Parts: sequence; C-alpha cells; structure tokens
Amino acid sequence: MKLTTLTRLAAFFIALSASALALAHHATTMFDRDKVITITGVVKEVQWTNPHVGIFVTGTLKDGDTPALWIMEVSSPGNLTRAGGWTRNSIKAGDKVSVDFYPLRNGNKGGYLKKITLTDTGKFYTADIRAQESPNLEDREQK
Amino acid sequence: MKRKMLSLLLAAGFGLALANATHAQSTKPVINPPPTTKDWNNLAKLPDWSGVWNPKISDQDKQAKTNMPPWTPAANELIQYQLAEEKAGRPPPLFVNCLPESMPAWMLVTHNAMEVLFTPGRVTLLGESDGNRLRRIYTDGRPHPEDPDPTFHGHSIGKWEGDTLVVDTVGVVPQAYIAISEAAGVPNNGDMHIIERIHLVGKNELHDDLEIIAPNVLTKPWKTTRIYFRQRARQYDIVEGVCLEGSFAPGKDKRGNDIFVPVEYDVGGNLIPPQ
Repeated sequence: MKLTTLTRLAAFFIALSASALALAHHATTMFDRDKVITITGVVKEVQWTNPHVGIFVTGTLKDGDTPALWIMEVSSPGNLTRAGGWTRNSIKAGDKVSVDFYPLRNGNKGGYLKKITLTDTGKFYTADIRAQESPNLEDREQK
Repeated sequence: MKRKMLSLLLAAGFGLALANATHAQSTKPVINPPPTTKDWNNLAKLPDWSGVWNPKISDQDKQAKTNMPPWTPAANELIQYQLAEEKAGRPPPLFVNCLPESMPAWMLVTHNAMEVLFTPGRVTLLGESDGNRLRRIYTDGRPHPEDPDPTFHGHSIGKWEGDTLVVDTVGVVPQAYIAISEAAGVPNNGDMHIIERIHLVGKNELHDDLEIIAPNVLTKPWKTTRIYFRQRARQYDIVEGVCLEGSFAPGKDKRGNDIFVPVEYDVGGNLIPPQ
C-alpha cells in the first residue's frame, strides 16, 4: 500500500517535472512587449529557481472561459528580491491571483510577468529588473 | 690575441652560467609567499568596493544602439542577422547553454549582481548567477604566463593606479562572445586582449571602462563603459545562482528520496506552455 502511494507520488512528480522547462539566460523578445494581457486564476506551482523563476497559473482571460494552465516567466530570485521586493514565499501554490503579462508571440499560453496581484489582499509584485538601477534600493517604497 | 681569448672564455663562461641560471629557474617552482600583516593592513588603503553591485541594464540597452563595436564585415553580418532575428521575436540563444557568459560578455551584458573581494595579491569578482561566474585578478606583480591555458575568463593581472584598478586580460577561449545584448554577440575568435579601468564614480557607482582588442572580429580596439550600482541592505545580499538548476525539477525517486529530475530543454531557453 505504502509502496503504491510512493510510486504514485513518484509518477506525479515526474509528470510535474516534465512540464517544467529549462530557463537558461536568454533574451525576452519572444514575448510581445507591445501587449499586456491579464489572466485571473489560482497559482498551481512556483519554481523559485535560477536562472529564471517560473510561475504556473491555472486561469482565464475572461469570465466564462475554461480555466487553462499558463506559464509566467520572471527574472532570477536575486533580481526579483532587489527589483520587486519578492521573497521565496511571496507567491505560493493555491494563491488567488491576477497576472499582467507580456504574451508569447507564438500564441502559446505563457508570457513574461509584468505584475502579479494577490486578489485576497491587493498586495502586488512587479518584475522590472531595470527597477534596480539606483543604489540603496531599500529606500524605495512600493508604488 | 691573449685578450681576445680571455674575452671569448669569459663570454663562454657567462653563457654557461646564464644557461644554468635559466635551467635552475625553470625547475624551481615559484612560491606564492604567505601574506604578511603589512599585506593585510595595506588592503585598508584600497577604495571601498564592498557591497553588492547590480548592473545598469538600461545603459547596456542604450549602448547596443549607440556604441556598436567596430566589427569586421563578417562579424557585422552576423550581428545584423542576430538583431533582425531578435526584432522578429526569435532572439538567438547565445547564453542558454549555461556555460559562463565569459569575458568580456559578463561585464558587458550581465543582468545579475556581483561582488568584489580584496585579499593580499588578488582581487576576486564573484557573479550572482552563475556559480561559475568568477574572475581572479592577480595584483601581486606577476606577469601573464607565456602561453596561458585558454579559459572562459582568461588570465587577468591588475595593478592599482591610485583608486583605479587597471586589469589586463589575455588567454580567453576563442568561443567567448563579445556581446552587445543577451541575443547579439560574436565569438572573439582568438587573440583577444582586454584592458579595464575599474573605479568608483561618486559614492555608489562602480564604472568599468573597457578596451577590447580582438583583431579577428574588430577592425580597431572598442571602448565602452559599464556601470554598476551599490546595494548595502542585507536583504539584497548575493544569493546562490546555479544556472543549470533550471534544467532540473524537484522530484522523488521510487524510495521517496528527494532528487533532481532532468527536464527537456527548449533550445530557446524559454518555458514552453502546456499544449
């Protein structure tokens, strides 16, 4: 019985792994910077890893749509900490969120995260790495 | 006649002595002496480069448009192709293989923070991402090796001119990019030489004035300055940044142990949403 559970667990995690893809250093023009679209939904998984953080959200573009899994790519943990005041636990699986993002040009369900808002509290996080461009970042306040 | 013989003998003797000395030198290992108290105390006289330095990326963006390296025609053709691809939404994946960004691309196009350590006889640059982003700059007066083993960051020697660290780098692998962005760069193709003058501007900006001499891809030396901002808040301390981490996902083996499971690579390096 216990073994079955473990096997199931293993299968689950391997399936989960297969959906996670390598995020090495790359430029971001595969995302359309001229468009910002928004989805609302629930966070399925957060991969707080280098070189790029990935956030999986099951959500919809508008009410009535069938929820689908979207992948939001962001910068690195270090950059998010300095640029947007993130921590590893800022966004967690199960959180209700709305996400503003630059969509993938190829039309697939993914994009580069611009802003993520926790719908329950209104607390939000941005991901503009150029927001680091001054010394003593701790002096900033959330705008 | 007698004097001539004497001179010849002397010259021969001198020659032998010189040969012996050379021989002795080549077999005797060069020892790095242990630092003295004075060596440690002298570090206090150096400018304060402590803290975390994060790059001015918007200036990198700007220079990609306003300060193009003097490419050879062949290098320029590659750059123009890459720029067109990037504009079309297909950015060339220069750095997605997780090899080091290398010199000089690390200094030129990094999006990640770094820190600088001073120890006797050496300045060390440590990049946040990746673990393999590391430069050792020897300030103990040594010369470059005659034939250095090519490495991703090359062999660097430095000397202080006042509060400016002047760094001379050779021996970089020919595959290392001279990059103007994460999506546009040309391999240096060998024989590259980099001279840097690193110094503070004001209290909290570090400038790296680079001169890149790469005769196989540049028609003349290229100069550029790259800017870094200082952070002192502990919340912004450098974190570990292993690039290959993104190529694996946490999983479990059949015994329930936590393991890393390789994930399939997207050649563009970006996430592929589920279909």
